[in-house]
Amino acid sequence: MNDNVINVENLVKYFDGRCVLDGINFNVPQGCIYGLLGRNGAGKTTIIRILLGIEPATRGRTCLLDTESTNLSPGIRGRIGCVAEGHNLIQSYKVGRLIKLCKNLSLQWNDESFDHLMETFRLPKDRKIKDLSMGMRAQLNLSLAMAIDPELLILDDPTLGLDTVARRQFLELAIEVIQKQGRTILFCSHILSDVERIAERIGILAAGKLVVDCPLEQLKERVRKLRIIFGEAPPANLYLTEIINQQIQGREMTVTVANWNRQKQAILETFKPSSCTEIPMSLEDIFIECTRPNPQPVEIA
Amino acid sequence: MLTLIKREIRDNIVYFLGAAILTAILIVITVSVAYNMGRDYGVYAGLSLPVIVILMIGFSGMGVSQMYTDKARKISAFLTALPVSRNQILLARIVTGILAILTVVLPFIITSMALAYLFVPPIPIFSSMIFDIFAVAFLLGFACYCLGLMTGWTASKITPIPGCLVLTFILTSLIIVKGFGSCAKGILTLFIVACLIRTWQKFMSTSL
Repeated sequence: MNDNVINVENLVKYFDGRCVLDGINFNVPQGCIYGLLGRNGAGKTTIIRILLGIEPATRGRTCLLDTESTNLSPGIRGRIGCVAEGHNLIQSYKVGRLIKLCKNLSLQWNDESFDHLMETFRLPKDRKIKDLSMGMRAQLNLSLAMAIDPELLILDDPTLGLDTVARRQFLELAIEVIQKQGRTILFCSHILSDVERIAERIGILAAGKLVVDCPLEQLKERVRKLRIIFGEAPPANLYLTEIINQQIQGREMTVTVANWNRQKQAILETFKPSSCTEIPMSLEDIFIECTRPNPQPVEIA
Repeated sequence: MLTLIKREIRDNIVYFLGAAILTAILIVITVSVAYNMGRDYGVYAGLSLPVIVILMIGFSGMGVSQMYTDKARKISAFLTALPVSRNQILLARIVTGILAILTVVLPFIITSMALAYLFVPPIPIFSSMIFDIFAVAFLLGFACYCLGLMTGWTASKITPIPGCLVLTFILTSLIIVKGFGSCAKGILTLFIVACLIRTWQKFMSTSL
């Protein structure tokens, strides 16, 4: 028994000879909200599908709630709520029938919470799933996932297709779940402001590797973007390790460095720059820097 | 488990209705032959054989439809996000198939026993013959259904149909060649076991 609700060890996945995930390692402790980010096709959904036992891994080990993903029993699955990308609900069913099916198959069902969500989202029970808009499907999927009071909530791009109001409602709901003690959330999204708002820990996937795995605050501390102006032409090599990006324009150099520390600052000062100013970075800026094609990927953990 | 079986039956109700209609036709033919045609077995075979072939194709089609629809619409991917295992999904599907076959076999066996009671002398060999015929009929239906399950788990719409049709015809002709004896039973049982193992292995190991 360990405190981690999600364990991913040396996960490797190949699709038709193409390596999508190359030795991914991360853990999500109980009560943590983990934001998994990456560009399209980076492998976020693949990780979630492997975690849920829907997709077999090529190599490595993944566990949910102390159980290997390949051996998740119905009892364990009953403690996990999941909102899948694309909201793959049974399209030919009416909403009412799907709700009844999910309710009958679930180990526990919170009628009060579910009815509240159905009222909030104003979902029609007599319409077929295929006739619902993408946003309505997302809302239904989320309501079904929340109705079981999950210990672990896995959200794969849950706000995709939602309008601004529905997105805000969703985030408030997610925060409500978080506030219930001990709940853990794995949250993948392209909307970085959403992730920034609720995630405690961030993982960023790039080129099949997890290049970032650390708390959000620490990430903002560790990645620095500096505008350095030199008296003469900037040096060809700053002798700094873990440079994510470097651009030179005249006497000005803009450099993004990972794992910033005093030692790196001291090295920089030896070049006696005329000025050195820090450019504030949002999560989106950090994400763009980290996912930029880089011959030597830098890991921030 | 019951919920999953109910779901499968409701989703495939058209096959149950089709099976019930064809069984009714088969029963009408059997009773008519028994009463009006002086038990002319040539006429009986000529009338009932096409119905039996359609039934077998129907069972194969049901298996193909269950698996193909699942793969295309990602139904199992959705269900496994609920407290349901892949084993349970497949088992519910197989139980549904068995129920569909019994929809045909049970009414027909009852009718045949009644007719045998009326027209056939009470000799033990006849009752054992009826049992053999229905055991083989059940196994044949189940073999066709399992074949459908095995070939239906594919992303291609075209692949399962010709292969499944050819094998269904081969299986049905097996009875014409081998009769209703233990040899036919043995071959069908082996075929069913092989199909089920392969289906289970494919369904458990591939992505949903």
